[in-house]
Amino acid sequence: MTIDAPSLTVVTEDSAGRRLRRSVGSVAAHALLIGASILMLYPLLWLLSASFRPENEIFSGTSIWPSSWSLDAYFRGWSGLQISFSVFFINSFLISILSVIGNLIACSLAAFAFARVQFRGRKFWFAMMLMTLMLPGQVTLIPQYVLFRSMGWVDTILPLVAPKFLAVDGFFIFLMVQFFRGIPKELDEAAMMDGCSWWRIYWKIMLPLSMPVLATAAIFTFIWTWDDFFAPLIYLNNMQQYTVMLGLRTFTDSTGESDFGGLFAMSVLSIVPIFLFFLIFQRLLIEGIATTGMKR
Amino acid sequence: MDRAVSTSWWSRAWQANAPGYLFLLPWFIGFFGLTIGPIITSFYLSFTNFDLLTAPEWVGADNYVRMFTNDPKFLASMRVTLFFVIFSVPLKLAFALGVALLLNRGMRGLPLYRALFYLPSLLGASVAIAILWRQLFAGDGLVNDFLAIFGIQGPSWISNPRYSLWTLIVLSIWQFGSPMIIFLAGLRQIPQDMYEAASLDGASKSRMFWKITLPLLTPVVFFNAIIQTIEAFKSFTPAFIISGGTGNPINSTLFYTLYLYQEAFEFFRMGYASALAWFLLLLVALFTAFSFLTSKYWVHYDD
Repeated sequence: MTIDAPSLTVVTEDSAGRRLRRSVGSVAAHALLIGASILMLYPLLWLLSASFRPENEIFSGTSIWPSSWSLDAYFRGWSGLQISFSVFFINSFLISILSVIGNLIACSLAAFAFARVQFRGRKFWFAMMLMTLMLPGQVTLIPQYVLFRSMGWVDTILPLVAPKFLAVDGFFIFLMVQFFRGIPKELDEAAMMDGCSWWRIYWKIMLPLSMPVLATAAIFTFIWTWDDFFAPLIYLNNMQQYTVMLGLRTFTDSTGESDFGGLFAMSVLSIVPIFLFFLIFQRLLIEGIATTGMKR
Repeated sequence: MDRAVSTSWWSRAWQANAPGYLFLLPWFIGFFGLTIGPIITSFYLSFTNFDLLTAPEWVGADNYVRMFTNDPKFLASMRVTLFFVIFSVPLKLAFALGVALLLNRGMRGLPLYRALFYLPSLLGASVAIAILWRQLFAGDGLVNDFLAIFGIQGPSWISNPRYSLWTLIVLSIWQFGSPMIIFLAGLRQIPQDMYEAASLDGASKSRMFWKITLPLLTPVVFFNAIIQTIEAFKSFTPAFIISGGTGNPINSTLFYTLYLYQEAFEFFRMGYASALAWFLLLLVALFTAFSFLTSKYWVHYDD
């Protein structure tokens, strides 16, 4: 491509005006973005402040700065149901952590097979795995329920946790396959030469090199399991086994109408673990989404 | 002789393939036991009456016939869900793309903005957010408090069937953060020299957007559209919490998944619910197939 002289001079003459326009544009863009962030985060800040207000002040206008601070709502809410939220939090943590362990083990095993091990039918099974990503869960829901019920698993956490040990979250397999493929093949070829088994390659080479993706999978599993409402709703009917989300729902049904403070306080507490992950691992989460296109 | 050959073939095949299948063993159990098996079973159940306590009773295509001829709630839930998908997905993607374009101008503070805009989509699926939303759009909620500043008396958005579904659409748009991040990653892939060449040729900003940015971004648009549409079809928690599990007022928030839940776990009509599930599968499959088939006309691929 050739550039003719006149157009070049036009560019230089114009550059001062251009720079000015650019900086005006950038101020406008910042103003827009700041405005949008405030608008988007305002409801969250309002919820936070409402949880610290004295009961009679909760609905006093749009301000997010309480006239006086109080922790009453937290104490009220924590023991607002027949069973205290400590039980719900313990249950939620237990289910989430077991799910993380299950997903890490089962998904990394499957991902290693798909990414590295040579075997007949690998492409076919990988395609099948990708198909399951598109599948709406409703279509397996009822037979799974019947199955777990016949095993006596309803009202236990097993239906929520056991499937994770069978790599049903294909999304994480996909995520790990992408990562494993980026690890130089020469490493396992050299190990093979030295007589390493596939298992040792998986355990001693692959996993130690894959900490970032394992961490991403662990964090997302934790958050999604923590947030999950549908599966606990179906499988847990005994309040002693409720997760935090089920506890909140019961709160809205029973006392929610009278004790908004308590409800808001428990709502805030229920998102604290997710928010902490966000604060600490924000980079990892955002990279995870950017590279694989996760839905949330 | 023959046998010797065949044993060695077997043992070679075993040696070559066993490790792969062993690593996949947990996945295989899950795939057949919790995915393929249940899909087939639910297809069978969709032709039966089944209340969980007595054995399924074969009724032929009755469930499917009833869905379309004798079930106003099914039609209502279909209408609600399609309305939700048609409005929430394009609006959410438009916001995601708009903000991504703004951020992609090499803005200072990009990581901070990106994180702030992402936060709602990380929290959004939580029950707490649905509770917050119910409060925001209540008659005496925050939104109406704001409107009151301008002297506007807002309705009770949640309990008015004209607006209730829109509150859920707004909630979905509010979570534009994750498609935005994917758009940002896509925008960064577009070679900068294309813009330089275009600007030397005197192309305007908007022309560059329509002729360079958007065409090169279509694979990402396509990907986001598919993911978000499937997610929208599956949306459950907000509608459940905001309507207290009913889908009211007047079924205006009766999402398809919510109706399916009611049929299966409140009325224990498991056969009918299976038919609903299979119809949903069909819808999602048709939508996906349609998108992929039409994609070659509008999605730009490099090679």
